[in-house]
Amino acid sequence: MALIIAGRMLALVALLIIVAAILFYMQRAFSGKIPSLRRLSAVDVIAEILGRCVEMGKPAWYLFGSVDMTTPSILAPTVAAFQTLAYTARMAARLGAKFFVPVNQGLAYTMANDIVQEAYRAEGKPEAFDPLGTVMYLPSGADRMYIINHMWEEQVAGAFFLGSWYHEAVIYTENAARVGALMLGGTDTTHNIPFLVAICDYSVIGEELYALGAYVSQDPTQSSSLAGQDIGKYFAIILILIGAILATAGASIIWLFKM
Amino acid sequence: MSSRLVKISLPIWLTSIFGVLMIIEFFFPMPAEITATNTTLRSFVLIVSAAALILGTVILTIAHVRRISTRKPEWYYSIIYLIAFATTAVLGLSSVRETNFLWIYNNMTSPIGAALYSLTAFYITSAAYRVFRARNWNAAVLLITGFIVLMMLIPVGAAIFPPVVPIGEWIRSFPSSAGFRGMIIGTSLGTVGLGVRIYTGRQKEHLGIREERKEVS
Repeated sequence: MALIIAGRMLALVALLIIVAAILFYMQRAFSGKIPSLRRLSAVDVIAEILGRCVEMGKPAWYLFGSVDMTTPSILAPTVAAFQTLAYTARMAARLGAKFFVPVNQGLAYTMANDIVQEAYRAEGKPEAFDPLGTVMYLPSGADRMYIINHMWEEQVAGAFFLGSWYHEAVIYTENAARVGALMLGGTDTTHNIPFLVAICDYSVIGEELYALGAYVSQDPTQSSSLAGQDIGKYFAIILILIGAILATAGASIIWLFKM
Repeated sequence: MSSRLVKISLPIWLTSIFGVLMIIEFFFPMPAEITATNTTLRSFVLIVSAAALILGTVILTIAHVRRISTRKPEWYYSIIYLIAFATTAVLGLSSVRETNFLWIYNNMTSPIGAALYSLTAFYITSAAYRVFRARNWNAAVLLITGFIVLMMLIPVGAAIFPPVVPIGEWIRSFPSSAGFRGMIIGTSLGTVGLGVRIYTGRQKEHLGIREERKEVS
């Protein structure tokens, strides 16, 4: 019996290299050597949006898009968005912004509810958290009409669209833009990135969604892991160059992917 | 058991152990017993998800009852929710395959969902207007390439200007694909990073766990 399932050797090697690089930088951070990281502009935008909401006396909304956590491709961006939610909810509680998180899946609802409740507790304002209203479960399908209607009714002043977004991205962001909300959008769903970038005032795309969560965590070991991910990028660039040269030279490397 | 063990350590350890087990199963041939265990574990996700759905529904119902009792604006819509909830719940619990239940789904839930989905077409039009304004050099490039691809996709485009088809296909096959693949590589790396942070217990905010940390300089 083969030690490794056929065709997965290269993926395993790549995974091990990337994981090793990430762990290396996290370990370095433990010993106080923190790599210099580009500050994501979205970090300041979170405070700007919430500040605007406080000044205008209008609510800030945090929306996730699709949160079917039983689907692996949706799970990862949703968990990344949860981490940013923890930071955003805490800042909303600190600034006194009215905060609303609609969620359309049961599992994600319970998690979002815990995160926001904990954020309010951490800021010493547990009474500002409404167990029935701050985080609300809206069944998928019915959520669209509720969100559109209430966006207009409450004249939302700021909105966050982070997570795994599909066709609802266009519906929600367009309505938020029309009511004049300041928006931060971010997704790794490639076919919806253009809409979020075009409609939202600020955006994080692809990997930045994950980086934002690590950056706002205020944990040096988490933000240092981003430097490890960069090693993966260099690895990918080298492989692309080698592949391009070999393909140009007419050499076949298909056998490599069958190992 | 201490509170920290139950609330913090146990969830992280369980996540790490089962997560690594799934990764090992992906790369290495495993005995049938382990594969069966992993399949069972994956079905747990659906069970937990269903349990959370009940919780969400109960809380939503309480919120609507409170809305009615406090006579909040447009409270009468909450009555419609309660009637619809009670009707579908009773019919669904008696038998999901019951004709009445399926009638509600096929003739009410499904068309409403389709109608809401169709809204996207109108919003995409106004979103396209927002995108296709040549406010700067980048937006101008987007406008031109978008227009070429649009002309390629509509039948009249090729009739008016035939070269638009090969140009549009080149844009889709090369610059567009290259950009998307770069994005996918970045996203995959981000996912690996997220996994490492979760499995090592560094990232736990998604579990609603808070531990005070020093500010990042």
